[in-house]
Amino acid sequence: MSFKQFFIEKLSLFFMLTTLITIAIFVIGSAFDAEARFGYEAMLAPVRYAACCVLPTFATYSKRELKKKELIARMALELVLIEAVMLFFAFTSPVIDTSRISVVLVIAGSVLIIYTMARLFSWLRESAEARVLNEDLQRFRQLHGQK
Amino acid sequence: MDVEIEQVGRERKEQVLIRCHAVTEEVREIAAFVKSRQGRLTGMKDSRQYEIAVSDIYYFESVDGKTFLYTKEQVYETAYRIYELESMLRSKNFLRVSKSMLLNLMKIRSIQSALNGRFAAVLLSGEEVIISRNYVKGLKAALRGE
Repeated sequence: MSFKQFFIEKLSLFFMLTTLITIAIFVIGSAFDAEARFGYEAMLAPVRYAACCVLPTFATYSKRELKKKELIARMALELVLIEAVMLFFAFTSPVIDTSRISVVLVIAGSVLIIYTMARLFSWLRESAEARVLNEDLQRFRQLHGQK
Repeated sequence: MDVEIEQVGRERKEQVLIRCHAVTEEVREIAAFVKSRQGRLTGMKDSRQYEIAVSDIYYFESVDGKTFLYTKEQVYETAYRIYELESMLRSKNFLRVSKSMLLNLMKIRSIQSALNGRFAAVLLSGEEVIISRNYVKGLKAALRGE
């Protein structure tokens, strides 16, 4: 895969993570610390977290076209990197109470859900693209005399 | 080598006749090119030469510097490189789908989403080949006749 294509994919992942992290912060924050109040600088938090999650995944770039098992291994590695980054933020944050195991588990679980959803959205988009390709393929085959 | 073209009436058979002092590699290439334009390619298997109809070829693949052509059940080696075949067979519905593969679009049964932005073409034989992301745009254009 070309680096340009890889970069575009990571950019797409960044934007998806930003949105999903925003939602996760709202849900978790509402559940564990509904009274908290923040300034405008807090609005950049999802963007910072998403960037910090995506940047380490650049280490998984390979110019060579990867096989299916290698791709799955790469996604697993990406997930581990993102979990590590988010848990690092959680443990070094003064506002997150990581002494409570439930909080740590919710953060780790949220990261897993967010990453899975980001991958799922990508897969849905690609499945829609495959449907269009199949329609084009049927028309092509009919045009060239095969059914 | 001089080239002459003689237009004949319909009652006579069309023919390409190569007069040469020796059957060199160049002469074989010219003959192979003419055959490919007529829809036939020469392939090697177990040291024997075979003529294969282009319409029977599912795909070509380059492996370790050698090019192989795949029919439904057989594999043959061909002397051509992928880029040469791509140029020769463009009008025969063959399309480059990765750095090392040239696929016969008429042999694709369906296309599925594979991981990481790639697609898998399921062939009429049931085999799956991967279409690299970089070549998807070209595939769309080819299927739409652009």
